[in-house]
Amino acid sequence: MSLISDLTERLRALLFRSRMEQELEEEVRAHLEFEVAELRRAGVEPAEAQRRALVVFGGVDRWKEEVRDARGLQPVEDLVLDLRHAVRSLRRNPGFTAAVILVLGIGIGAATAAFSAVRTILLSQLPYPHADRLVRIYEKNSPLNLWGLSTVDVQAIRELQRSFDAFGAVHRTEVALSGTGAPERILVGRASAGFFTALSVVPLAGRLIEPGDEAADVPPVVVVSHALAERVLGGAGHAVGRSITLDGVSHTVIGVLPAATTDLAGVTAEAWPALRLTTATRRGPFWLRGIGRLREGVTLDAATRDLAGISERIFPLWASGFRDQKARLTPIPLRATIIGDTGRGLALFAGAVGLVLLIAIANVATLMLVRTSARGPELAVRAALGASRERLTRLLLTESLVLTLLAGVAGLTVGWLGLRLIGRLAPGLPRLAEVGLDTRATAFAVLAAVVSGVLVSLSPISALLAHGGPGHPGTGGARAGTSRQSNRVRAMLVMIEFALALPLLLGTGLLLNSFLRLRRVNPGFDPAGVSTLAIALPEARYPDDPALQRFWRQAELRAGELPGAAAAGLTSAMPPDDPGDINNFDLLDRPVPEGESEPVSPWSAVTPGYFLALGIPLLDGRLFQAGDSGAAPPVVVVSRAWAARYYPDERAIGRQMFAGGCRTCPPSTVIGVVEDVKYLGLAGSTEAVYEPVSQTNTRWLNLVVRSAASEDELSRGLRNAVAALDPELPLSVVSMPDRLRASLASPGRWTAVLAGFAAAALALAALGIYGLMSYVVRQRRREIGVRIALGAEPASVTRMVIARGMRHALVGTVLGLGLALFGARWLRALLYEVGPWDPLTLLGVGALLLVTAFFSCWLPGRRAARVRLSEALASE
Amino acid sequence: MPPDRSDLLQGTLELLVLKALSLAPMHGWGIGHRIGQLSGDVFQVNQGSLYPALMRMLRRGWIRAEWRISENRRRARYYSLTPDGRRRLARETESWERVSAAVNGVLRTRIAGGTA
Repeated sequence: MSLISDLTERLRALLFRSRMEQELEEEVRAHLEFEVAELRRAGVEPAEAQRRALVVFGGVDRWKEEVRDARGLQPVEDLVLDLRHAVRSLRRNPGFTAAVILVLGIGIGAATAAFSAVRTILLSQLPYPHADRLVRIYEKNSPLNLWGLSTVDVQAIRELQRSFDAFGAVHRTEVALSGTGAPERILVGRASAGFFTALSVVPLAGRLIEPGDEAADVPPVVVVSHALAERVLGGAGHAVGRSITLDGVSHTVIGVLPAATTDLAGVTAEAWPALRLTTATRRGPFWLRGIGRLREGVTLDAATRDLAGISERIFPLWASGFRDQKARLTPIPLRATIIGDTGRGLALFAGAVGLVLLIAIANVATLMLVRTSARGPELAVRAALGASRERLTRLLLTESLVLTLLAGVAGLTVGWLGLRLIGRLAPGLPRLAEVGLDTRATAFAVLAAVVSGVLVSLSPISALLAHGGPGHPGTGGARAGTSRQSNRVRAMLVMIEFALALPLLLGTGLLLNSFLRLRRVNPGFDPAGVSTLAIALPEARYPDDPALQRFWRQAELRAGELPGAAAAGLTSAMPPDDPGDINNFDLLDRPVPEGESEPVSPWSAVTPGYFLALGIPLLDGRLFQAGDSGAAPPVVVVSRAWAARYYPDERAIGRQMFAGGCRTCPPSTVIGVVEDVKYLGLAGSTEAVYEPVSQTNTRWLNLVVRSAASEDELSRGLRNAVAALDPELPLSVVSMPDRLRASLASPGRWTAVLAGFAAAALALAALGIYGLMSYVVRQRRREIGVRIALGAEPASVTRMVIARGMRHALVGTVLGLGLALFGARWLRALLYEVGPWDPLTLLGVGALLLVTAFFSCWLPGRRAARVRLSEALASE
Repeated sequence: MPPDRSDLLQGTLELLVLKALSLAPMHGWGIGHRIGQLSGDVFQVNQGSLYPALMRMLRRGWIRAEWRISENRRRARYYSLTPDGRRRLARETESWERVSAAVNGVLRTRIAGGTA
């Protein structure tokens, strides 16, 4: 109660200063008039009464001042004074001020950017109503093996589930968009009505997919993204009712999504045609993503049990083709499935940023400490003039805070730039569009500034207090005590800088090491002179197998006839990152026990020309031949790694397997073994199974050509050749070297970012120890001068300085090693063929840190050796 | 921190102001005047102490202030007790009586000892 009235009175005093001055004035006048009236009542003359009243009252101004004090404005006025003083003193040292604002600004900025990204991408809810109730449903047979849903699964869940108030499925694919200018390939998500319901999507115009649109016999409809409507349909306002052609089939546009919706549940697409499920003939393939919204009050566990029950009920119905009895339909929170692995890179980034910020704070703290000891005389004068210790403490704190808040403002700018940098570095980061510098990020920057302000002022303040206040002005006697105290604090800060820099350097060393190894990985083929062109044949114009086969034969033939072409082929998989399909299989001579899951392998359809075009050598057996056609018994070629895994000491040729769980189909026979090629990323395994294009009815293939012609010439020739066969196909040629570069780009960029932070940390640590030792040398000039005058070798003086500095660096490095050993496990998933405790990297990083420290100490050490007693005394 | 002499005086003045205001709301001059009257002119309240004391008491929430028209038709700032102030007065009065009784006791003993 009294606290509130106290505050309101003070606030009133602060806000209504001039009004309160007037009130005070009037109160004084009233008082005098009462006094005069009283005196006149006693019979005094008016003029005399006036005079006597004033005398009795005493000095009007003096008591007005006392009233003002009593109003409680003193602290505020002190603060204004402190602020003014701080600004003045910072302006007097522009170099120091700029250095601190720069160092801390970068630190705070980077931390703010990391905070925004981490908060939005990793921590906050997805931008859907009831986001916490959204799940994605997988087939799962072990903690690490999850895959999508089949038509059977989706239909069974629809009929039997009791846990969701909305459930839908989506199939993400690429189609040819034509009829609206040049044909192009766009990403589409074929989605069911329940998909939109679960996500509570509200269209900008028109309507969304409804259950009636999913039937096979109604006109096809599509919901388009805002961007697509703007690009090809003349604007979002005019899109509804028009039609677009997807893979040769005309679709009526029924709705437009809001501009901000670029992806739904992690599926990025420009158009959302209605998903049409046909009657299933077997349990697989597992080509759909299931999205469900839990009913209110239904827990994830309850839904898991519900779905597991469904798995058990449908298993016997399809057991002939799908024998994995352990596979269960499993709901997993949607947020976790979207963030996935990208979180790790981001967390690494945030950790690196945090360490750099801490090092920057430690560095600025040492700067502040030096400045405070340099200001010893000034502070002593202030103390002598009556400033209390609290007052001096407040002064130092105000100065630090002004400084770090300025750095915070600089940091917001840096943070804004940093966010754009993150966008450039990792364009594939989920939810990147939502990341921005919002009020929370701003609040974070301010908080970081205030916390670092308090932290950096701690060391000078503790030095000030530990000594019991500053010494006497002008005498050097008291300085030694303050110095020893503050030197201990400074040495500790330098150790902290080294301890924090080491994990960063180690992380960089490990990532760099693994990146270099990754670059040396043999992708299994020679990329030079190879270009690729992806083709998808729409069902409308290529309804059956003969039509498909005719086109593929023609395309391969024409590509092989291009000028300069050495070989041409077709493939559904594309090294180094696209395995095409992944299929399960069961070897006839070593069948998988009942109820266990079958092994899987990347599985691609290729022509023999593909092996020639990429230069993949045949190691055993034969490649596909003209006779391996649709009617002949199915054949496959396997990779060396596949053969080594399943037939380590035997020949793989002639072995047979059931593919895709189909036991009624004729088994496939291994006819050849080829050299390994990477399909699962450069760090991935190299097992692979190839089947001939002529025995599959595939609509999706890549045309691959090796040619002596220039890249441009080849690209033009390829496009023309395919356009001559079908002018409506969208065509985009990618060269193989570009594919390889793209595969390395992401690890390369993260390594570069971390290297940047590590370099900053190393520079700050070097600066810290250099500053400390320079300061020590300056302080002890006299003593050093005396030693040299008495005959000490200059080299021994240098050695002494270096030894002292190295002691701090060594302790810091050892502490840092402990920290790094603890934290390096986090990196494991990002490393390739390098352990998180790789001894060589550890050794190298420690050595780098110590060598840097050595040179940072050597400079002041050499300066110490040049100290002459006469100069040292003269400068005192 | 050693007790300040002005603190003691301040406390006393505040007690007197509270007492004066407990009878009726009053402006600054009137408070000084009334304390003079009540004490039989023993206390001449110094205006230089009175107004700062009033400001402090305002801040502590013991009294409140409002502008009113006085008996001689002048606008003046009237102070009155808040419930907090009333409680404060009761407590201060009690402790004052205890202290003064104790002081009186001490003084009397001394005199007795002196005559013995």
